[in-house]
Amino acid sequence: MNIIFVVIVSLIIFITSWINAGSVDLQVIITGQCGDGVIQSDESCDGSNLNGKTCSTQGFSGGTLSCGSNCTFNTSACTSASSGGGGGGGGGGGGGSGYAPTIPSTSVIFSGRAYPKSAVTLLKDAQIAATAIAGVDANFQISISGLTGGNYIFSVYSEDNKGVRSSLLTFPVSVTFGATTNVSGIFIAPTIAVDKSEVKRGDNIAIFGQSIPKSEITIAVNSDEEFFGKTFVDANGAYLYNFDTVQLDTGQHFTKSKAALDGAISSFSKAIGFAVGTKNIAAELPKVAAKGDMNSDKRVNLVDFSVAAYWYKRSSPPATADLNGDGKVDLVDFSIMAFYWTG
Amino acid sequence: MRQFIIKFLLLSFLAVFLMPQPIFAVSFFFNTQTNEWRVDDQFVAEFFLNTNGDDINAIEGKIIFPSDILEVKKINDGNSIINFWIEKPKSALKSQIAFSGIIPGGYNDSQGLIFSITFLAKKEGKGIIEFSGVKALRNDGEGTEAPLAISNFQFLIFNPPAGGLVPQIVIPKIEDRSPPEEFTPQIAADPAIFDGKWFLVFAAQDKGFGIDRYEVCEGNRKCIVAESPYLLQNQNLDREIVVKATDKSGNERIAILPPQKPRAWYKDYAIIAILIIMAVAYFIQKILWEKRRK
Repeated sequence: MNIIFVVIVSLIIFITSWINAGSVDLQVIITGQCGDGVIQSDESCDGSNLNGKTCSTQGFSGGTLSCGSNCTFNTSACTSASSGGGGGGGGGGGGGSGYAPTIPSTSVIFSGRAYPKSAVTLLKDAQIAATAIAGVDANFQISISGLTGGNYIFSVYSEDNKGVRSSLLTFPVSVTFGATTNVSGIFIAPTIAVDKSEVKRGDNIAIFGQSIPKSEITIAVNSDEEFFGKTFVDANGAYLYNFDTVQLDTGQHFTKSKAALDGAISSFSKAIGFAVGTKNIAAELPKVAAKGDMNSDKRVNLVDFSVAAYWYKRSSPPATADLNGDGKVDLVDFSIMAFYWTG
Repeated sequence: MRQFIIKFLLLSFLAVFLMPQPIFAVSFFFNTQTNEWRVDDQFVAEFFLNTNGDDINAIEGKIIFPSDILEVKKINDGNSIINFWIEKPKSALKSQIAFSGIIPGGYNDSQGLIFSITFLAKKEGKGIIEFSGVKALRNDGEGTEAPLAISNFQFLIFNPPAGGLVPQIVIPKIEDRSPPEEFTPQIAADPAIFDGKWFLVFAAQDKGFGIDRYEVCEGNRKCIVAESPYLLQNQNLDREIVVKATDKSGNERIAILPPQKPRAWYKDYAIIAILIIMAVAYFIQKILWEKRRK
């Protein structure tokens, strides 16, 4: 009876392990090796090749820099001015190569200002890498690590408390392996919305949004000539500007805003459209991407890109993929999508 | 003298106001160590974008080269400013490389690497690597075309004189041990493609030489080389999906998507196997018990 039990259990273990044999382990396979004298992208040094670095470049005042067996710098023989003082000491001795090997972390820290308590999204090479919530003072900080180093294109945008998104602020950054890169002073453009999609000529249209508390907002309204107005952001990060449309011709117009605080100026917000006509029509908040959201998930990202790429240069594309309505999906449609990208 | 001054001012006016102003135009250019190589040399031509203050989010074009003099050995699109390729640069025809891609949010800088090409100098002669049908579109929501300044690349391939000392061009050995960046595949369905069936999208970035291929493994099915968007074979979405991105140096990055829906218990082979074993064991036990009774 016991033998039968053991056989059954063994069979179960064998069969379940056989069934699960198809699963794949998460692994990163790396080619090349430390110790070949060639500095790879993930190595600080290799053998006697110190990549031109010395103790002084590593923050010490002198001594001899060497390369550890894991291709990171060994600074145990480096000396610093502060540790040299005091005489005596002596000691030290012995010890062989007793240094603690550290794996350098490649990271980037982003800091700047958005809107009070707003959600800030960071894109790394156009895909969402991290999100954070700004403080009541609109300041935010996001850090990402585990990068391999190289050229990256980072973008940030924020979403105000009404769910309106800012424009995408994009900046190329060259990240060094094993180092922490700081990107500071990010100033996200204000959000913007209008209360009417059509306004009766001579009536006011409210232009509003969010930015950094106490910053100065410049509103631009385009027409044959461009009109500018200024207002200030309140302590909660909200601004409002009532624009008298008597000075505008009937027809389609656009408005945009930018913020300034302590000598720093943001880029302009997205431009938002309204018509000047014969009646007033209330506008909805611009919560969804105006174009490029092909699967209606309120995002413009790799899924939408893939759908458009499927129809690239194919005949009779659906209207959702043909963003400029010219009967084909070409580079212009992708450019429009890239402008409205959310990740 | 007066006439000379008038002529000079007139020519200056024409030069300044009527001639093209490439200084303010978006430019594409090649960067190489030199423009003279020996026959059988291999050299790398890096292809760059300078936006000259413009904000560019989409590019496309073709690079034309004399295929009787040059042969493409390798195209590296790693570490590129292009986030998503619509047409990955490849030498589809013998003498041209077509490409198109986008930079969501736009790019505004002076030296953005697009991709690099390793050429083999096949025979001696003068040649030009030129651009054709190149476009750069502004990040303005309308895809407006930016004015371009194109400078084609002239080169010379020569046979060194017998016995003469000619410095050899050596391509520096660069090893790439970094895997592609972490990436997150997504499952989606859209009536516009694959008849509304579930498909998988993925895009990994590589800061070395670029992505070579992707493999998709659905549950216990055989892994297959795939491109995004990929129509999923298992439309029930009840099995794990593994996507493996391999770069041109063989480094790999794997992303795993857990099952999106719970799997019906009767489809779980492990449970079925256990039930069969228990049933077999029950019958064996019963037979043995009856034998003992006899």
